[in-house]
Amino acid sequence: MRLAYRTGLGAITVLALFLVLFPFYWAFLNSIKRPEETFQPTWIPFLQFQPTLEHWRSQLATPEIRHALLNSVIISIGAATLALALGTLAAYGLARFRFNRPSNGALTTWFLSQRVLPPVMFVTPFFLLMRQFGLLDSVLALVLLNATFTLPFAVIILSQTFRELPRELEEAALVDGASHLQSFLSVVLPLALPGLAATWVICMAFSWNEFLFALSLTSKSAIPMPVIIAGAEHTRGVQFWFVGVNVLLTMLVPIVLALLAQRYIIRGLTLGAVKG
Amino acid sequence: MRRAKPIRFLLLPFLIVLLAACGGGEQQTGQKSGVDEGMAAEAVKPGAYKAPKVAEPCGNDCPYEGDTVTVTVNTAGKEGPISGPLYEVRDEFEAATGAKLEIVELPFAEHFPKLMTDLTSQTGEYDASIAGAWWLGDLVGGDFIIPYDKYYNDPKFPQWDDQDVLPGPRELLYYGGKKYMVANDHDGQVMYYRRDLLEDPKHQEAFQKKYGYELRPPQTWDEFADVAEYFNGKDLNGDGEPDSGLTMHLKVGGQGMFHFMSFSAPYVIGPENPNLYWFDPENMEPLIDSPGHVRALKKLVELTHYGPEAMKAWSLGESWDYFLRGEAALTFTWGDLGALAQQEGSKVKGKIGAAPIPGTTEYYNVEDGEWVKSDEINVVGNTTGGSWAGVISKFSDAPEATYYLLALMATEEKSTVYAARGWDGVDPGRYYHFLPPDGTGSMENYKKAGWNEGDAREYTTAYFDNFNAEQQFPYLRIPATFEYWTALDTNLSDAVTGQATPEEALKDTAGEIEDITERLGREQQLKIYKTSLNLE
Amino acid sequence: MDSASDNSRSLGYETGPKAAPSKTRTDYTKFVFIGPAVIWIVAFTIFPLFYALYTSLYTYRFGQRFGFVGVGNFTRLVTDENLLSSLRVTLSFVAGTVTVEMVLGVALALLLSREIRGTNVMRGIATLPLFATPVAVGYLAITLYYEQDGPINSLIQAFGGKGIPWLSDPFWALVAVILVDIWQWTPFVFLITLAGLQGLPSELYDAARVDGAGAFQNFRYLTLPLLAPLLWLILLLRLVEAFRVFDIPVSLTLGGPGRATEVYSLYTYRTALRFFDHGYAAAQGILLLVIVMLIVSLIFSRIRGLYEEER
Repeated sequence: MRLAYRTGLGAITVLALFLVLFPFYWAFLNSIKRPEETFQPTWIPFLQFQPTLEHWRSQLATPEIRHALLNSVIISIGAATLALALGTLAAYGLARFRFNRPSNGALTTWFLSQRVLPPVMFVTPFFLLMRQFGLLDSVLALVLLNATFTLPFAVIILSQTFRELPRELEEAALVDGASHLQSFLSVVLPLALPGLAATWVICMAFSWNEFLFALSLTSKSAIPMPVIIAGAEHTRGVQFWFVGVNVLLTMLVPIVLALLAQRYIIRGLTLGAVKG
Repeated sequence: MRRAKPIRFLLLPFLIVLLAACGGGEQQTGQKSGVDEGMAAEAVKPGAYKAPKVAEPCGNDCPYEGDTVTVTVNTAGKEGPISGPLYEVRDEFEAATGAKLEIVELPFAEHFPKLMTDLTSQTGEYDASIAGAWWLGDLVGGDFIIPYDKYYNDPKFPQWDDQDVLPGPRELLYYGGKKYMVANDHDGQVMYYRRDLLEDPKHQEAFQKKYGYELRPPQTWDEFADVAEYFNGKDLNGDGEPDSGLTMHLKVGGQGMFHFMSFSAPYVIGPENPNLYWFDPENMEPLIDSPGHVRALKKLVELTHYGPEAMKAWSLGESWDYFLRGEAALTFTWGDLGALAQQEGSKVKGKIGAAPIPGTTEYYNVEDGEWVKSDEINVVGNTTGGSWAGVISKFSDAPEATYYLLALMATEEKSTVYAARGWDGVDPGRYYHFLPPDGTGSMENYKKAGWNEGDAREYTTAYFDNFNAEQQFPYLRIPATFEYWTALDTNLSDAVTGQATPEEALKDTAGEIEDITERLGREQQLKIYKTSLNLE
Repeated sequence: MDSASDNSRSLGYETGPKAAPSKTRTDYTKFVFIGPAVIWIVAFTIFPLFYALYTSLYTYRFGQRFGFVGVGNFTRLVTDENLLSSLRVTLSFVAGTVTVEMVLGVALALLLSREIRGTNVMRGIATLPLFATPVAVGYLAITLYYEQDGPINSLIQAFGGKGIPWLSDPFWALVAVILVDIWQWTPFVFLITLAGLQGLPSELYDAARVDGAGAFQNFRYLTLPLLAPLLWLILLLRLVEAFRVFDIPVSLTLGGPGRATEVYSLYTYRTALRFFDHGYAAAQGILLLVIVMLIVSLIFSRIRGLYEEER
């Protein structure tokens, strides 16, 4: 019975992974098929159709694409790090201190509300704002905006992470004469590594894929990948090979970053074994 | 007991994939793309046929030294439609004027909004835009662009003649009597059919027997329906799978409403009603739910039965692909299809027939409110589509350099090559694009661009007839045109997918149109509508 | 102090007698922590918020302010059939996606929380969809959902079923959009839940195993209650995001067929950036804010118990 149970779990896991990976496989196929073959029911290169590396070659050779990738990297890492810095502090404040008016619940709700309004309402005011400060078509503008709008993730996820940490270690540090800030930095943060890493990854992913502000506030030098991808839709329709190549290209960097961050999620487990 | 090795299970998905692949793959055996009875589709690579140089380098005496011209265009890359020619002409332009050319590619759907943001905030980052014809209502109405009348005859700019443009597309260059758009692309929809199928004696015999008249390129929508019905379900490309009578691109936001405009024109426009399709010129009430429009929509819905179900969600690419794979006998759409048929991967090169959009034998005169029978077939030409052409921003600080660029691209030498090449998205619309006896163009030009002779003749004749037709579909160019069209687009999709009857769909459209007109100010809209149609 | 019960219940604030000695320091310190984030957000959003409010009081023509209408834009909201339709579509969408994503995400996290060889890689794979740009995923899905022998229909047919009219049928189109969203955002739930699981103390499970508890009981009586606060927050985050879903319905179906997948954000987007009716769009945004915050507050008031101090 044990075997059947584990086998069942194994099968489900594999199925889940297959479902996750299949669209990427299809994107890959699209990227090596000739445009007119996009809709042919051919699944296996070489066996069923002649693949072409032309699309990859042309995209990688395009300076705009490389430039956009770089922009995306700067924007998302910058925004995620900034959001994490601000958010971690605020999260700790919400987790360990009581606020009276407004209450902790109200504050959390307020942070959450930042993600509710459709961004299209803010396009014009931010356009005007950035124009005022000469930040149109600048990577900095997008770093700042994305930090602002991914900050709620950091606050909300991390406040819960902090709440769940046992208080003893912080109390011990306080008794030893450390300030709240010191105990936070030296005791709490290391313990919260899994949550921090996960949050950083989330903020990075959201900033990486942000489209609307990227489109409205950039025109030449600060264009990130999502705008490039939106350009897949030509007057003649979507260029699926373009999408195929670019969706995979666009994912490479965040994946590498996320895999690096993932190590911290695991490390947290071994630390946890020392707890108590 | 160690956990079971999940690796084993990784085989399972691959088996599934193989199964599905082979199941679907069956039809593909024995099919080489493009090679068919000796009509190999030769690919003509974009760089091969270049537009000739027209402007001399200015050397030391450059008129616009230091200017930068920033042009927005639909994203398509250096070798893509509409944007390609800009890249191609950049060096020549910069050498001839001393000015610098910045090309800003914007995703097609975001192009107009981004332009408007720039204009309404008076940022002035863009000097020109290769704009869609329907933008003019908002652009001129909001006083955002300047007319180029004063530059047109000035010899210091490249010379081109707007009278070279056929009457239909020519109208779109002007607004309120002034020149705003510098001629570039000329869009319109024609009907395409499979020449090989319609000329096949086997089919001709069977068709005659079933319908009682000769099989020929349909001249009315009723005939179109018959031909589509006849071919529906037959194998049209030799792969053993049943194909369709027709294909259309009906996706919401996929320019499906353009289809309806071309389609329904002959049901509403006729000799006694040459102009009134959109609004009543007395009170600006919408005409979109007139009996003529309704009958057209009913016919369109009928036609959807002779095509693949999926086409209700298809945008241009998917529908054209379908036709190019040889799986449909009929379609009606833009000039891109004819050009795409010449390229590698097309299975229908050499088999294209083209003709103007079918007409009707009875149309509805909205003025008198009654049906009019017509002895001759009532045909209406159309300039449906974007007809992407340059306009100059009021906030440009280099309007002359900007006009120079646009005029350079409009010269006869360049335009001739642009129109023949499929990849650059510029379609024929001037007399020198069309073959004799219609115009003064040459077959050599088309062959150099890789066209099959027969296809080229069919294609150019169809477009000539279309643009030269006496009756032309009135193109809507008033403020909020896109908003009106979106109302039509979504309701059309409702009708076509059965979520509403044609009457309901068009009535809803009329209601939404009314709301828009009310909101924007009826009097104002009425005035502009009449101006845009030269009705007083 | 019973460490086990403390671990499982110390979810509250610094409020007991222990807080008294450092009360004055605490007062300032808490502002030091929360201050930067609050100031940052206020600085960036105060102008846009007021601008949006101001905008909502006017009508627009050619993208420019035209006439003052006060609450005119808001009353228009109530009679707008299309707006109500988009709200309905959005609600269906939210219900369909959030529920499934929560269940699947948590299940996946549980599945991959065990430390066995290979789970690292599998976890990595499970988070991949998060990095795919949503717009691109929508376009990609067009090829996946292609009804004439596209991959999904081919798979269905290989198993003996009939192809589904994914994009041309109003009902299936919404399902198609929902499925894509599930594919993309379940990893979000998965990732955070996983981090949460990693943070759970293992002594509890050791104790439970000694008591003879099985996996399911572990989950129901240990894991779930411990994770509950985090899960509710994840749900709220997903809920809020789902209400403003945009990229996928736009790139996959653009709201079609008809208005079957026209979500609220798309309608607002169209109003602002296709029709240039910024005033009405601002009003729509404000309405969405009100609706969503109402729902969020409702949920919050129910679950407040989880966050309040027990004593």
